[in-house]
Amino acid sequence: MARTSNKNIQAKLVVLGDMGTGKTSLVLRFIKGQFNDYQESTIGAAFFTQVLSLNEATIKFDIWDTAGQERYHSLAPMYYRGAAAAIVVYDITTMDSFVRAKKWVQELQKQGNPNLIMFLAGNKVDLEKKREVEFEEGEQYAKENGLVFLETSAKTAQNVNELFYEIAKRLVKSSPPTRPGGMKLHRGSRGTERRLFCCSV
Amino acid sequence: MSSNSASSTSGDDDFVDSNSVEDRLATVALADTVEEFSSPPPNLESQDGIGFASASEGEDEDAENDEDEGGVAVGEGFVRGGVVWGRTVSEIEVDAPGSPSSSGYAGERGSSGASSGEVEIDEVGNDEIKDLRNNDGEGVLDSQASWVPGKRHVDEDDASVSWRKRKKHFFILSNSGKPIYSRYGDEHKLAGFSATLQAIISFVENGGDRVKLIRAGKHQVVFLVKGPIYLVCISCTEEPYESLKGQLEFMYGQMILILTKSVNKCFEKNSKFDMTSLLGGTDAVFSSLIHSFSCNPATFLHAYTCLPLAYATRQAAGAILQDVADSGVLFAILMCKHKVVVSLVGAQKASLHPDDVLLLANFVMSSESFRQVTSESFSPICLPRFNPMAFLHAYVHYFDADTYLVLLSTSSGAFYHLKDCRMRIETVLLKSNVLSEIQRSLLDGGMHVEDLPVDPLPRSSAISSHLNLPKPVTDSPERFRDTCDGIAGPSGLWHFIYRSIFLDQYVSSEFPASISSPRQQKRLYRAYQKLYASMHERGIGPHKTQFKRDENYVLLCWVTQDFELYAAFDPLADKALAIKTCNRVCQWVKDVENEIFLLGASPFSW
Repeated sequence: MARTSNKNIQAKLVVLGDMGTGKTSLVLRFIKGQFNDYQESTIGAAFFTQVLSLNEATIKFDIWDTAGQERYHSLAPMYYRGAAAAIVVYDITTMDSFVRAKKWVQELQKQGNPNLIMFLAGNKVDLEKKREVEFEEGEQYAKENGLVFLETSAKTAQNVNELFYEIAKRLVKSSPPTRPGGMKLHRGSRGTERRLFCCSV
Repeated sequence: MSSNSASSTSGDDDFVDSNSVEDRLATVALADTVEEFSSPPPNLESQDGIGFASASEGEDEDAENDEDEGGVAVGEGFVRGGVVWGRTVSEIEVDAPGSPSSSGYAGERGSSGASSGEVEIDEVGNDEIKDLRNNDGEGVLDSQASWVPGKRHVDEDDASVSWRKRKKHFFILSNSGKPIYSRYGDEHKLAGFSATLQAIISFVENGGDRVKLIRAGKHQVVFLVKGPIYLVCISCTEEPYESLKGQLEFMYGQMILILTKSVNKCFEKNSKFDMTSLLGGTDAVFSSLIHSFSCNPATFLHAYTCLPLAYATRQAAGAILQDVADSGVLFAILMCKHKVVVSLVGAQKASLHPDDVLLLANFVMSSESFRQVTSESFSPICLPRFNPMAFLHAYVHYFDADTYLVLLSTSSGAFYHLKDCRMRIETVLLKSNVLSEIQRSLLDGGMHVEDLPVDPLPRSSAISSHLNLPKPVTDSPERFRDTCDGIAGPSGLWHFIYRSIFLDQYVSSEFPASISSPRQQKRLYRAYQKLYASMHERGIGPHKTQFKRDENYVLLCWVTQDFELYAAFDPLADKALAIKTCNRVCQWVKDVENEIFLLGASPFSW
């Protein structure tokens, strides 16, 4: 959960998605400004911290970059438990990864923190020629499920900083001193939907 | 060795079952080896780097084979006794310097990065030849460190000539015949071959028996059945059966480390379960384990080795680790590459098996993901000898490129606690200069045979025989520093391994100039491995000493209740002198045991 002390917010951010969608690449692009063509598979989960300064507040991200491999799936709750924000990543060049992303969204809606700020990122837009998932498709799904949608490229850095800044901004908005007021914007409708699942948490 | 290329069972079949199996084998064509070269020169025996260019070809492939000799086994061939010899590709590939920018590298990463897949695959073939050419000149690497783990030759399958020529294959498959892992080639393309292996195993099992080994000419096919998981090694490296079986056990252990034994449940639910996806992204872990079979003696000694450090330095590192171990950490291990710096067990006094240390170190070192210096990793890991059913949670952090800390906890929520522990440890290690001492030890290396004291030092003056600490000036006259090139140590001692039975630890001397290439080192390790197997052969009773001379070395092995010593000498070494030298080595090891072994305070087992 996001903790506010003065204007410092510490927030746990979890990155989920199928293997090979570029989760680690996105995180490394954001943190180090680097990109590696042959990023190795993540084992378990990698933990990073990064501080972002906005006008309103300073946000310290605790980023959990999870492994996309199937074998780690059952361990995912360990990483997303208590997260204030989540980025679900898919690869625009494979429909499978988009299908997988939807499953992650469903799981987070069921099991995650009800105030979770969820982003959907269609990564690898630099590979436009190989595109399988249309922008509209991602946008449409995001709209229906109350997610924030962006298409990104860790390789060209397109929308990567925007993604994390946008998350930071929303975290600031959603964590004013009086916590319950945090439900705003388009998240109202999703809130009721979520409550149905509260019993399963 | 595909099922459609029938060839006869040749060679002395050495397996458990009766004629019926043999007949059966003729149809599945397992045994297609070099019969036409009936008398290889005797010194081939342990020269793995050299093999028949046309090894393991069935008759029906002669035509293909001719083509292939030009394409795959480029150069390197030389004529001996009228037979053309060439280095086979598999060996070259193992020793070849993998350059990260080469296309082969890209191909093997393909499994993790979806975007890097298809494009590179057809380039792998070129890379293979490139590798060969790279090797043409010297054929030697300065260090094993440049070996790059990962899967190679993904484009091959059992129909490829190059695939059939590989000297050592490893397969993991399920009891329904589904491929799980193959060292070479794409698992999915090897479905037919896997089914053949499965058919052999289940055929023998149906007869109420178990197939352990099939010998076919130069090839050995070793089987290991672990519940629903089958492991098979096909090798023409002349390693003893027990060694190959031990390697399969390690392969299985590595799989358990990644998945736990509860993977069996998946097969109970669905016997046709496809396990390859569960092991996604772990090719490098297995390939580096297989690589270590030929360059890490821990794989056959079943002991671990320590980084040489001053006693006080190790104590300092031990003290801080003990501190955190008492605070709810199950195991705390500080390692430098594959050597243990210090390791401690928590309050539960659980014990850590040397094989688990090896598998854990291999897993951590071969997974690039752990190496991100800016990150910390938290991953479920199972230690097969500790508890094959349950995951532990491992916090892994690299302090520098070589030194890493692994903290293991039973709790999945322990991350922040372990992170705190790491920060405390790091502060202490930096303050007490342990990390820089570790780097220095890495540079200096361990025991150099040239430093073997000429006369055993009296116990009282043992302090002067420090290993790689600043040496007292008085030290030098006692030592043989100036030796000619070929003969490294006094009396022609080249190398030794000393294994302490009580400590479960071994120490291996640094390689001299005469054994400087990875290939020569591999050959020596294979010789030790053979020696180890022959000394530990079951049924014949424990042997005490063995003296063996061939054209490569004099090997001397000495096994007592407390230790095992394996030593390699110049092939012309005098026997009596060699024995004398071994006594001095033992004395030397005793004199410096404080620095080369992790002693007393907290050994792995109690």
